[in-house]
Amino acid sequence: MIYGDKNLGVIVQNITGKQGTFHTELMNAYAREVGGRGVVAGVAPGKAGREVHGVPVYNTVREALREHDATASVVFVPAGAAGDAVMEAAHAGIELAVVITEHIPVHDAMSAIAYAKLHDCTVIGPNCPGLLSPGECKLGIMPAHLARRGNVGVVSRSGTLTYEVVDELTRAGIGQSTVVGIGGDPVIGQTFVDVLARFEEDPQTKAVVVIGEVGGNLEEEGVRSTDLPVVTYIAGVSAPPEKRMGHAGAIIEGGEGDARSKVRRLRALNIPVASRPSEIPGLIREVV
Amino acid sequence: MKLLEYEAKRVFAEYGIPVPKGVVIRAPEEVAAHLPDLGDGVVLKAQVDVGGRGKAGGVLMADRATAAETARELFSREIKGVPVREILAEERLPIEHEYYVSIAVDRSSRQPVVLFADAGGVEIEKMAEEDESAVRRVVVSPLLRDIPPFLMRELLGGAPKELAPVINSLYHVFQGKDAMLAEINPLVTTARGVYAADAKLIIDDNALARQGITVNRDLSEREREAEKHGFSYVELDGTIGVIGNGAGLTMSTLDLIEFYNGRAANFLDVGGGADQERVMHAVKLVASMPGVNVIVVNLLGGITRCDEVAKGIIAAGVAPTVIVRMAGTNEEEGRRLLAECGYRMLESMDAAVKAAMEVAE
Repeated sequence: MIYGDKNLGVIVQNITGKQGTFHTELMNAYAREVGGRGVVAGVAPGKAGREVHGVPVYNTVREALREHDATASVVFVPAGAAGDAVMEAAHAGIELAVVITEHIPVHDAMSAIAYAKLHDCTVIGPNCPGLLSPGECKLGIMPAHLARRGNVGVVSRSGTLTYEVVDELTRAGIGQSTVVGIGGDPVIGQTFVDVLARFEEDPQTKAVVVIGEVGGNLEEEGVRSTDLPVVTYIAGVSAPPEKRMGHAGAIIEGGEGDARSKVRRLRALNIPVASRPSEIPGLIREVV
Repeated sequence: MKLLEYEAKRVFAEYGIPVPKGVVIRAPEEVAAHLPDLGDGVVLKAQVDVGGRGKAGGVLMADRATAAETARELFSREIKGVPVREILAEERLPIEHEYYVSIAVDRSSRQPVVLFADAGGVEIEKMAEEDESAVRRVVVSPLLRDIPPFLMRELLGGAPKELAPVINSLYHVFQGKDAMLAEINPLVTTARGVYAADAKLIIDDNALARQGITVNRDLSEREREAEKHGFSYVELDGTIGVIGNGAGLTMSTLDLIEFYNGRAANFLDVGGGADQERVMHAVKLVASMPGVNVIVVNLLGGITRCDEVAKGIIAAGVAPTVIVRMAGTNEEEGRRLLAECGYRMLESMDAAVKAAMEVAE
């Protein structure tokens, strides 16, 4: 596993919001199932003293950490205030912030990620489904029942496509070491390079599925940076140019970063590229 | 959203960047009234949102005598298929040298990146391809208010120091206006000083609200309607409607249709956490497009709950044409609800797409 295990203490920022409340319950159900610690405290300014599914709520991250032992935060704070929430967490000593929120202005993301770095806080996301190490811990919104413990790492820019690939792997009898959704925005805290470096140091991980999409060239940077066996899938080969396909990151910018040329460049590096998600398990068996 | 040149120049001027004297005209006869201010030479620039406007005939030179006729000619043109409705008429600058400067979001370093070249007015990608050293680049910490002098020196190299304050102002535009890209090409020196002869500004769509911009011109009518409900929506030219949650999965569904030699009619991403009502609007919107005879709903519940989606599909009431594949959060409840109403459900996206292809043909 990478980023955390059973012993990880987690807080949820904006725990009283609809998604914060719902997913705190799911995260803690998973923690109970695997014998982990899960969400130990929540934060919602002005709502100290409440409880959400038995989890105590505090006004600030600092106050929560005074009473509870936690090193990670899952951020469900609305877009306009999410950058601030990440900085608050980093400032208070949180080491890992997983940002689920989508539609965060890119300048806020740049500032928050830079500020977090100054405080040695690792940011995953924004606009991501989070992190799941089957049998150990879940931070975020991934449907955990699709995953099985195993030796294949999954790292992805797209939330739902991650679940699709995890589902395919599990149904083919291939378990996962850790599944990381890094987010689809133009600026994200952990890129493929960062996550693959962690996988490389993880004795459990024998191969990695890299799931990318149109926009930028982060996939290529990632696979070039690692010695691990890698299988890739790139969504968006049918995407028309200059159209915004779904979210901020998924746009073809002036011919650069389109899916077809990405696939071409990856194949030129001798990296297996699946032409559809259902081909991934077969390709994994070939590289392991 | 990409601003038009004159809109971008207005913003640049607010931040103290010198721009040429100019005026926006909407009819050829308007140019005459402004000629005394603009001087002997004028540049007429079509205000259309297309790349490579100059090469496509969207920029014409004129003088006092020919200005009205040239404007009439430009108004009659289509630039890459876009009709010319507005023209920016500008004074022609006595240019000494042209430079290139742009500031963008660098995905790899997660910081603003400033690009500068000693030759402007040309396509920067080509310039960089031909000679890598022709384009200098520095990344700036987003926590800094200004481009620090040491980075500015690195950026400018031997170029005149007078460019520095203009480039720093452009950095302020980039930060203050939530820009994804702020570009001046060419940035020109004249005997009178430094000017932004052209201007390009793209604002982050996620920041339009706080920038006080309410209309996103980049969207078509139907896409705008979709945006009202919070969807990402793109129209294509096939027969299979596609609804998914999440950009990646929805695009992947589209790719799979292409893989099986089918043609998608459109693409609708309901986004994260879509509730019953949003899903209902999504199905109705996709179904309303002419030529759509089957809809594939490919849904993997995470933050989105399958039972909510099922209720939305049922509420839309277009039962026979919807093929559903759903898994994830509250999957069992969602599948139960749909089964009760007789919807066709398949286990995998491959199977769902294949089934849709059969209906489409």
